[in-house]
Amino acid sequence: MRITCPHCGARDVQEFTYLGDASPSRPDGLEATEAAMFDYVYQRENPAGRHRELWYHGAGCHAWLTVTRDTRTHAIEAVEPTKRPKAGTAA
Amino acid sequence: MSDAATIPDADTIPDAARKLEWAPRGAWAELPADGHLGTPGAAGTTITARNGLGIASLIAAEGSDDALVQALKTRFGLDLPSTPLAVRSATHALVWAGPGQWLLVADDRSGFADDLQALSGLAAIAEQSDGRAALTLSGPKIRDALAKGCMIDLHPSVFPIGAAALTSIAHIGVHLWRVADGPDGAVFEIMVARSMAGSFWSWLSASVAEFGCTLAATGRG
Repeated sequence: MRITCPHCGARDVQEFTYLGDASPSRPDGLEATEAAMFDYVYQRENPAGRHRELWYHGAGCHAWLTVTRDTRTHAIEAVEPTKRPKAGTAA
Repeated sequence: MSDAATIPDADTIPDAARKLEWAPRGAWAELPADGHLGTPGAAGTTITARNGLGIASLIAAEGSDDALVQALKTRFGLDLPSTPLAVRSATHALVWAGPGQWLLVADDRSGFADDLQALSGLAAIAEQSDGRAALTLSGPKIRDALAKGCMIDLHPSVFPIGAAALTSIAHIGVHLWRVADGPDGAVFEIMVARSMAGSFWSWLSASVAEFGCTLAATGRG
């Protein structure tokens, strides 16, 4: 499998580290209920098909990427920087 | 262990031998001296150990690199690349090192402290002169040698002069870029973490051996 890093171009998957589902966002720790934190920390979908997930380009540009991948075929639909640079930055 | 007999009595060690000798040493100090490596005959590759470089990493604060861009332009006449490129002047190079990150490389370490002082406050700057080990690689067969471990395509159609890449070779993180061609064609500069220089050398020396390799060193140790 190859991932086309938006910064570096197509690279072998061994340059990347997989983190997991990109969709959970952390509830406010002070306000969140125990149930909401439990969901955030432990509960994950395990879809057969389209999945948005986080990958880290550790052997390359050290950027976090959000990859949209079909878990059945490994076909990659989109790769985006997880953190979008603000307007005006050089990179 | 019964080595007691071989350990000299402390009283018999001469004073001179007790003093630790801390002498600066280049990253490639243990490389074989200038000469030829591998298959005899005309060398297909050339490795030049780069010593005495000034190296620093620059990381721009998000959204605030305008002043850095201006300072680099003024002092070095270099434009900060926003894509994987290496740009260079007669004395300095700026190499893309990830989004919002660059390496500043000076051919000569003297004066480098002033260079960094001039950029003070404009970026997060970390001196890396003794933290990286650099080589210049060239020769008609250098792409074939690099292809044994480098997963990215270095063909001129996709890796032209000025192209830069962060990747790994033999599980070692490398920073690689292409500079102006020499008499034998493409010339690459490659940098690894200094602590990995020995491991990288063991891969590189084995990979170039088949083609024959001329070893050289430049700069101060």
